Amino acid sequence: MRRSLSLVALAAVLGLLAACSSDDGGTVRSDGGSSSGSDAGSGSDADSGSGLSGSDLGTDSPHPVATSNDPTVIRAANNYKTWLQSQVAALRTDAKKFTDAVRAGNVAEAKKQYAPSRYRWETIEPISVLVPGVDRAVDSRVDDFSSVDDPKWTGWHKLEYLLWIKNTTSGGAALADKLDKDLGTLQTKMKSLEIAPKAVARGAGELIEEVSDGKINGEEDRYSHTDLSDFDANQVGSKQAYSFLEPIVRTKNKALATAIDQGFAAVEGSLEPYEVTEGVFKPFTSLTPADKATMQSQLAVLSENLAKVPAVIGVS
Amino acid sequence: MSDDGTGTPLSRRAFLGTAALGTVVVGGAAAGGIRLASAGRGDGESVESPEPVAPRGFRGLHQIGVLERPRPHGLIVAFDSVAADRPALQNTFRALSEELDSLLSGRVPPETPSALPPPDSGVLEEVTEPGLMATVSVGASLFDDRYGLADRKPRELTTMPFLANDRLDPARSHGDVLLALQGKEPDVCVHALRRVIRRTQSGLVVKWMQDTFTRPDAVPKVGQTQSRNLLGFKDGTANPDAGDEALMNTLVWTSTGDAAPTAAAHEPDWAVGGTYQVVRIIRMLVERWDRASLDEQEEIFGRHKVSGAPLSGRRETDIPDYAKDPEGKVIPLTSHIRLANPRDERTVDKVLVRRGMSYTRGVDSAGRLDQGLAFVSYQRRLSHFLEAQERLKGEPLEEYLRPEGGGFFFVLPGVVEVDDWLGRSLLKA
Repeated sequence: MRRSLSLVALAAVLGLLAACSSDDGGTVRSDGGSSSGSDAGSGSDADSGSGLSGSDLGTDSPHPVATSNDPTVIRAANNYKTWLQSQVAALRTDAKKFTDAVRAGNVAEAKKQYAPSRYRWETIEPISVLVPGVDRAVDSRVDDFSSVDDPKWTGWHKLEYLLWIKNTTSGGAALADKLDKDLGTLQTKMKSLEIAPKAVARGAGELIEEVSDGKINGEEDRYSHTDLSDFDANQVGSKQAYSFLEPIVRTKNKALATAIDQGFAAVEGSLEPYEVTEGVFKPFTSLTPADKATMQSQLAVLSENLAKVPAVIGVS
Repeated sequence: MSDDGTGTPLSRRAFLGTAALGTVVVGGAAAGGIRLASAGRGDGESVESPEPVAPRGFRGLHQIGVLERPRPHGLIVAFDSVAADRPALQNTFRALSEELDSLLSGRVPPETPSALPPPDSGVLEEVTEPGLMATVSVGASLFDDRYGLADRKPRELTTMPFLANDRLDPARSHGDVLLALQGKEPDVCVHALRRVIRRTQSGLVVKWMQDTFTRPDAVPKVGQTQSRNLLGFKDGTANPDAGDEALMNTLVWTSTGDAAPTAAAHEPDWAVGGTYQVVRIIRMLVERWDRASLDEQEEIFGRHKVSGAPLSGRRETDIPDYAKDPEGKVIPLTSHIRLANPRDERTVDKVLVRRGMSYTRGVDSAGRLDQGLAFVSYQRRLSHFLEAQERLKGEPLEEYLRPEGGGFFFVLPGVVEVDDWLGRSLLKA
């Protein structure tokens, strides 16, 4: 794990390890090549590294899939919710460092705090969007509006625009206030949010899709080029969500669990060289085409495997 | 119509894969030397050629999609390889082969529970004759230091340089692997690509792609075509007879002779059965072309626009006799057909098999139509293309063309054995 966001997760995982894991011999589609070159059973001919000719994941599992009434699954969702709330609380603190700098008119400090201020947001984004209106208020990009001058455009990216393109905090104080307020709304609403097990499973996958959609191309943080920080946050958030389900997945389909573990490790390994110091990443513009291609591939493979999780734990 | 064999039962097609190869020989075309006339018969009569190479599935000495009658729609897709090492690359090519075999055989992946993502996009549900063809080739970059393949590179394979008039866009040029898909409809290619990507995404990442279209001849005839490029001229009239196996062995396929240590080419052993593939994404400045007089257009090409006949003749099948017109009074010396194919002793065994298709990709920043020709040629030696390109340098047609992408590739040999896969001979330890 790159970074432990919370110890809650670990506790939850330990609590879930009651079920004995067994090898169900289920097949995992690990596609053509091994992205990390780790296992892949290379060398032998026949079918190593390819699974399509056989049955797909979960189809031949001798174990019945878990149902959403499965207490372990429900407990996982509850534990995830506890973790979410801790994240939102920390998010508000992080964000305030940023908004304070904006209100103080300190451009340099605001720029420094921009990426860290949204890191935790990016770890929980698929859940946050379940609270109506918040995502649009705090994280929309200019693409959603007719122009940069549209007064309805608020949130991090509007401030990012002011800081990096206009090099100013002028006009930012009201936006900073609103960001704090909107995140407060998120925190309040999150408490009463129903987190279905399905949302946990899907959320893990969606976070990786998020990276493939907007981070790997530098569109998310187009002014500050801090996309790799968001990328890391998405990845960490996905892994965190998945970690609550992992023991269940491992019981149902060990091969899938192993493939997902390797998938996260591969993505982490690719991102590692871009982390300057803890939590601070090189600008997106420094990402080499070769590394980008590798990451694209790793993300696609991981997404493909995470997409199977809801079915395997019976919550799809 | 069963012209593409997609309606044939699986088992028979699998069998045909190897058995049908090399059985198509046009009567009269002697297996030995090539006569000048074979690159367009000189008697003024077009000779009907049977479907060049019988319909077949994935397996065969050569890959499908090179010599077969072109399909109306194409998708050219270049990939970067991200496989970590040689074994991973082997896995990728094995997966690619399995997927293409499955697609070309019309097999659908086994059904999975509805709680899982379906293994197939469903785009071709209920389509019985997709007419899919797929051709896999590799670029010079695959032979760099990543996989230890440097000493296995086909002798003439290089990264396509800027040739005359080129303005190559790196984002639309080259690639480690190229997949050329063809189908009866555009969705056939899209469907195949989606399956291929999903299957090989741990090793291959799309670098660029271009969709293409053409109007293939219903009945292929040597020396004649109804396919036209977007300049309005027939394209492919002088294509050699793809059904003439001996001719194709001379013009297209790398032979065991080429791999002999004493051979001038001295190609690696694995390359036998493959061929050099040139892809050139050639933008055509069509608005400007449309404002050129018919006389100018015809002089630039050396043919009559409507009939396709050389300026020296009346019929498309008429063979220009350049010896009778040494000063280019009838067919200008700088005309495209004269430079591209001088029909002399020096070039008779260097005629290219061209499989170009058109493309259109919207408008450019100046509001001009962005369309042109995805030129594709196959040749036994890359030098055959380069020599033709050298002759064409500075031709008047250049004013209306701007090559913007593509690359040089080598089409992998076909696979025959059931457990064989594309690239095995290249990638083996």
